[in-house]
Amino acid sequence: MNVLIVEDEKALTEEMELFLHSNNYICETCYNGTTASERISTNLYDFILIDLGLPDYDGLDLLKEAKKYNPEAACIILTARAEVDDRIKGLDLGADDYLPKPFSLLELQSRMQAITRRKFGLKNSVMMLGEFAIDLTNRTISHGTSQVSSITRKEFDLVAYMLLHKNRTLTRSQLSEHIWGSIVNDDYDSNYIDAHIKNIRKKLNAFGPPDWLETVRGLGYRININN
Amino acid sequence: MKLGTKLTLFNTISKLVIVVLFVLLLPVLIHNINRNYTDSWLRGQQEKVLKQVQLSGIDTYIKNGEGYGSYNALLKEEYVSMDVDSTSEEIDTIVNERRLVEGDTIQYRILSHNFKIGKQNYLLEIGKSIDTINETTVPLQSIAFEILLGMVLLTILADQFYSTYILRPLNKIIRTKLIGQKFPLRTPYRKVRTTTSDFEHLDISIHKMIQTIESTFQKEREFISNASHELMTPISILQSKIENMFGSEDITDEVKERLLELQRILNRLKSITKTLLLISQIENEQFLKEDKVSVAELLNEVHDEISIRLQQRNIHCEISIPGDWELQGVNKFLLFNLVFNLVNNAIKYNKEGGSITITGYIDNKSRVIEIADTGIGINGEQLPHIFNRFKKFSKSLQQDSFGLGLPIVKSIADFHHILIEVSSEEGTGSSFKLVFPPEMSKNQ
Repeated sequence: MNVLIVEDEKALTEEMELFLHSNNYICETCYNGTTASERISTNLYDFILIDLGLPDYDGLDLLKEAKKYNPEAACIILTARAEVDDRIKGLDLGADDYLPKPFSLLELQSRMQAITRRKFGLKNSVMMLGEFAIDLTNRTISHGTSQVSSITRKEFDLVAYMLLHKNRTLTRSQLSEHIWGSIVNDDYDSNYIDAHIKNIRKKLNAFGPPDWLETVRGLGYRININN
Repeated sequence: MKLGTKLTLFNTISKLVIVVLFVLLLPVLIHNINRNYTDSWLRGQQEKVLKQVQLSGIDTYIKNGEGYGSYNALLKEEYVSMDVDSTSEEIDTIVNERRLVEGDTIQYRILSHNFKIGKQNYLLEIGKSIDTINETTVPLQSIAFEILLGMVLLTILADQFYSTYILRPLNKIIRTKLIGQKFPLRTPYRKVRTTTSDFEHLDISIHKMIQTIESTFQKEREFISNASHELMTPISILQSKIENMFGSEDITDEVKERLLELQRILNRLKSITKTLLLISQIENEQFLKEDKVSVAELLNEVHDEISIRLQQRNIHCEISIPGDWELQGVNKFLLFNLVFNLVNNAIKYNKEGGSITITGYIDNKSRVIEIADTGIGINGEQLPHIFNRFKKFSKSLQQDSFGLGLPIVKSIADFHHILIEVSSEEGTGSSFKLVFPPEMSKNQ
C-alpha cells in the first residue's frame, strides 16, 4: 500500500517510514505542505498521514485537498496540538482517524489496519492461531465449533493487537497504551497487563493450549505464528 | 458592622449628644435671656416712671413723706414704689430680693434707683416676680426637646436613606466584581454606575487588579499548554526510535531490557505531559459540555475498565445507583476520567481485600454520588492539599504515580460545576462525594 507521510519533523518521519516500510507499506515523505500539496494533486495514495502543525501550510487545508484529489485515500491526522477543536474539525472534514502525538508506531499501524478492514474490506478477517480461530470483524475467538464467550472486550483487544503485530515482542507499556491510552490517569507503570494475560490463558486453556501466546522473559508478550 | 449602619449610628449618637447638651443648657440660656429681657424691661419702666414724675411732679405720688406703692391687685406680679430716700449715696441696682406684700413673701427682681428732685432724694423701686419670669422655662424646654428630637429622627431617616443610596455602588462592586469571580473571566468589564469618585476609583482599581490576575492565569495556562505541546514532538520521536529499535532483529535481549527501561521512563514523561495538557485544556474551556450520560452506564464502563485492578488487589466494588439517573450538559470523556480516577484512587489507597462502595442518593434536592473506600485514609493535615498538583504523600502505597490524579478530578469537577466533598479518617478510609448541580439533572 502507498503511504504519503506529511510531517515536518524529519527524525519522526524517518522512524515512521522505517517502521511502515518493514511492515510492507511503500512510503513517500514530505517535510512541508507545499510539496505535499503537489504530490497529493498528482499521485494516488492509499494512506495520507498529515501532521497539522506544518510551518507553511494549514494541515486542515491539506486534508481538504486530499479529499478532493485522492478521494479513495484514507487520511489520518497526526498532531501535537491536541486541541479538541482540531479533532472535531478534522473528523468533520473527512479524516478517517486522528492520532495525537506522542503516538506509538504500533498504534499507528493498528489504526491503519482497522481503516483498511473498514474501508477496503479485508477478505480474510478470520485468522487461525493454533486450535483457535480469531474473527477480527465479529470480535470472537472460537475453538472448533464452540465460542470462547467468557473473553471480555479488553482481552479480545489485547489478543487482536498482539495478533496484528505477530512475531513481535510487545512490551507491557505498549499493550497498556493500546487498551488504556485514552484514559488520563496518573499511573505510568502497572502490571495489570500480566493479570489480563493470565485471565486470557486461563479462559483459553479450558478449550485448548494457547501455546502461541508466549511470555518473553523480562520484555513482554508475543504471539508466534508461522505462515 | 456594615458601613451604612456605622455611619447612621455615628450620626444618631452625635446628634443625640448635641441635642441633649442643648436641652440641658436650655434652662441656663433661658434664664439668662429672661433676666436680660426683664432687666431691660425694668429700665424701660424706670424711664417711664421718671418721665411721669417729671410731668406730674413728685408731689402727686409722695405727700407728706409717705411713700407711694402700686402693684397688680391679685397676683402681685409687679410693683412700683417710691419713697423719700434718706441716704445720700447713689443707688442704681437690679437684684433679686424678697418682699413682703400683703402677707405674701414673694421673690422679686427689683430695680432700685434713686433720684433727686430739688434737694430731696427719692428711691424708686420697680419689681417683677421671679416666678413670672421663670414660668416659661419648663414648657419651653420640653417643647424644644420634642421638636429637636423629631428633627433628629427625621435627619437619621434621611441619613439612612442617603447612606444606603450612596453605598449601593460599593455593594454592587463587591457583589459583581469580587464575590464569585471566576477565572477565566467570562463576562466583559462593565462599569459600575456611580457618581462617587471614590467608588469609581475602587471599581477601576479592582478591575485592574483582576486583569493582572487574569493575565497571570492566562500566561500560566498558555505556558503549560505550549510547553506540553512542544514536548509532545520530541517525546514522539524518542518513542518511535525506541519502538523501532526494540522491534529490530539484530538487538540482543540485554539491550532490549535497557530499551524497556527507557520506554518506561519515557512513558512517565508522556503521562505527566498528557495530564498537564489535559488539565490546561479543561481550564481553557476547550471541551464541549453537550453529552447526555446515564450514570449507571458510565459507572459500568468505569467498572469494566478497572475490573482487572479490582481483581488484582482482591477488592470488592459495590455500585448502587438509581437506574434512571441521567446527567445532561456534560462531557462524557471528562466525566469518565473523573470517575475513573476517583475509583482508581479508591483501589490504589485501599487495603488488600478491602471494598469500595459507590452510591447515588438525593441530598438536599441535589444528586450525589459517593465513592467510599476502606483504605488507608488521608490525615487531617494533608486533606486540604490533596487537590494540589504534584503533591505526593509519603503514605501513598508503593504504586507508581506522580500526584496528578486528584488535580484532574478537581479540574473536571470545576469545569462541570460539580462540588467535591471529601471526608476521611486515617486508617479507616476516605469518601469522595460528587454533588451535581441541579441543572444537570433536569430531565428535558
